[in-house]
Amino acid sequence: MGKMKVKAKAKNGVIKAKIQAKHDMLTYDQAKKKKVDANFITQMVGKVGDKVVFEVSTSQFLSKDPLFKFEFKADGFKDGDKLEMTWTDLSGATESASKKIKGIKK
Amino acid sequence: MDRRKFLGLGLTAVVLAPMTASALDFRKEKPKAWTAHKVDEAVKALYGDVKLEESDKISLKTPKIASNGGAVPITIKSDIEAKTVTLLQDVNPESAVATWNVPDGGMVNFSLKIKMKGSGKVVAVIEGKDGKFYTASKSMEVALGGCEG
Repeated sequence: MGKMKVKAKAKNGVIKAKIQAKHDMLTYDQAKKKKVDANFITQMVGKVGDKVVFEVSTSQFLSKDPLFKFEFKADGFKDGDKLEMTWTDLSGATESASKKIKGIKK
Repeated sequence: MDRRKFLGLGLTAVVLAPMTASALDFRKEKPKAWTAHKVDEAVKALYGDVKLEESDKISLKTPKIASNGGAVPITIKSDIEAKTVTLLQDVNPESAVATWNVPDGGMVNFSLKIKMKGSGKVVAVIEGKDGKFYTASKSMEVALGGCEG
């Protein structure tokens, strides 16, 4: 299915999203021990259509397989809209996943 | 690839890229913020010499004692109209953990799990749309360090 799970649900005008990414998130210390290059997610962006609703720049200090939760106002979005999440890591790799937002009235 | 070189490349790319997208990549824009060891150095690198106001309008939730330093759940919640929100701590080798760029319609209610090398202080800094900087911090204990270092 991909390396990321996206869940988004609208309730009372607010969309709550829960994102489970799959990534080793190796810190420089951990990578040194394993004798590999450090690699961790450095940025995660969430969009609905072309509107950015979430953006975080992250460090090596997020947990392995990081979980993110956030919310944003549901104004302007309609039934069928999808939340598309994309992350980028230190090596330049990216991963995207998208899911239809539940609960928006037609 | 040499880390410094990598960061330098990123910075150049951002300067050339059009500024239409509102998804700022702080990692590229403010590389020094990510290598600063102390919290106030990282804040200075991110925001400049700004005055931080302790605010009770920021709800910074952390467990009092984290059993596993590798996955400490943190929640930052606030009604302050924010431009950006930054999470820092003072126990890991570098203090900046994450920076959220709050888009229009975005709300400050973020949860994530972080690594903490040991017991210490977690700090949230909110850059308000009013141009002011608000902060809240919480001390917490970690039973088992999370950086394996």
